[in-house]
Amino acid sequence: MSRLVWPAALILVALVVRAARSADPRRLDLSAELARPSGSHPFGCGEGGVDLLALSSEALLRGMALAAVVAALALAIGTSLGAWAGLRGGSTARHVQRMCDFVQAFPSFVVALGVLAAIPRPTRVHVAVVLLATAWAPFARLALSELRVVRGLQYVEAARALGAPAHRVLVRHAIPATLPVARAQLGSSASALLVADAALSFLGLGPSDGVALGALIDQGVGASLRAPHVLLVGTGALCVGALVLQAIADPKR
Amino acid sequence: MTTRRPALDRVGAWLAGVIGAALVVLLVGTVVFFAFRLLPGDPTALVLGDQAGEAERAALRAQLHLDEPLARQYGRFLGSLAHGQVGPSLRRPDVDAATLVLDALPATALLAASSVALGATLGIALALCSVALRRRVAGRVADRLIALGASVPLLAFAPAATWVLAVRLRWVPLPADPDAGARGLLYAAALLSLPLGAAVGRIARASLEVAAQSPFLQVARAKGLGSLRVWLVHALPTCVGPIVTVVAAQLGALLGGAVVLERLLERRGLGTVVAEALAARDLPVLEAAVIVAAALFVVVQAAGTRVHAALDPRARA
Repeated sequence: MSRLVWPAALILVALVVRAARSADPRRLDLSAELARPSGSHPFGCGEGGVDLLALSSEALLRGMALAAVVAALALAIGTSLGAWAGLRGGSTARHVQRMCDFVQAFPSFVVALGVLAAIPRPTRVHVAVVLLATAWAPFARLALSELRVVRGLQYVEAARALGAPAHRVLVRHAIPATLPVARAQLGSSASALLVADAALSFLGLGPSDGVALGALIDQGVGASLRAPHVLLVGTGALCVGALVLQAIADPKR
Repeated sequence: MTTRRPALDRVGAWLAGVIGAALVVLLVGTVVFFAFRLLPGDPTALVLGDQAGEAERAALRAQLHLDEPLARQYGRFLGSLAHGQVGPSLRRPDVDAATLVLDALPATALLAASSVALGATLGIALALCSVALRRRVAGRVADRLIALGASVPLLAFAPAATWVLAVRLRWVPLPADPDAGARGLLYAAALLSLPLGAAVGRIARASLEVAAQSPFLQVARAKGLGSLRVWLVHALPTCVGPIVTVVAAQLGALLGGAVVLERLLERRGLGTVVAEALAARDLPVLEAAVIVAAALFVVVQAAGTRVHAALDPRARA
């Protein structure tokens, strides 16, 4: 379980920061506009005097929560679909494989932009649904390839020979066999989802209160000549979040 | 050994491919078409804002043909699509949205092509280092670099790198510098090439590791060929196929990265057109951008498969 230590630690730190500091990430203090790091504002202030420590920790927490939820749903949907298709084999497996290839290669970011632009005030749920539409594909593909191996295994053959219905074989045998590999994919998918969400909010499709990693980076870019610390906080937070989520998928055992 | 299929068979397969590609583009266009018209929220409120008067909204609705029945709107959409148009842009009604997008395409295509060239070179070089120099420090450094390129997100290091290199060190042109020229393109392409380079590096490394064990390479070595020649001339061609496939599959990520990078470095291109259309909710332009992206996707996929088959006889159907 050591792979979960880093994400857990990060979340804990962010939660503690959020609880301890009375500064609201949405609170503006115009007198402290773009202030450098100091005692009262350890990370300094951004546009409008917003406390960067509070903003970055809240934005990181929200981003990681979204990424975790979407990744978990993608794992559930993708693994089930891939395992089912793998168990059936034949043309079903081929079609699902093709669909996965298509979805993964497709410029879905541009489509996501187009779809989200049609929504007046895109909420986290809208963003989550749009991201989920492509996030399931790597899990399905992994489950498919794992199933190719598993189908030949004797305990699955035995279960089927004993007359076990297809869904029981799926739930009892096929899906558990695919879970170890899926767990590895979970980390890299969650990391990619965090970055995708940040990219969307960087382009202006984030929550309206501006508490998002991409919006923070956008602030940093705008203020980079006058106050580079804002950019450092934003990009640092995103980097740390992405790397920590990746750590769940560490292949070194 | 390739079998020669009857000519009619090949024409049939080619036609099926073209129809399939056209269907993909049509499907994507349809999804966006319906997304704009069926998602909750009034498109006119989206574009004009909540305070707009009823007269303005009615005028915009008529301009976008939103007052017509949905089937008729779709027919009109398909008709314009057949002419390579999507409908007038909302911010510049005298220009068709597709024209705006297609005009911006060459700049982004140049950026993408340059990053593919740089990224593929970088990835291959790192993979070669990693496999051929496995026991040396260089090999381990190459491994680390591949892992780093794959895990650090573009959105995180591009702004930071730009601040360091453009603002502090003045080694590269500042964003929105109109005289950026070739150096600006090279810098943007270099940034965009890093994630691609990492993906290519991974695949190339896996292919080279397989090739390293194979008999034909041992034969080459036994013939007394120099190490560099063995790797470059004999081992490398085996991974060209997978590399081409990876590059074709990375198009989506490349386009997404180009949108973010162009917005960051304020370069003219598809990315800035999309970002501006997004801010102004210029829906026809966004529709056109999505359709063009889908069309690019099918073209690149088809080209990738062809190139792969041409370079690697094992991949031919």
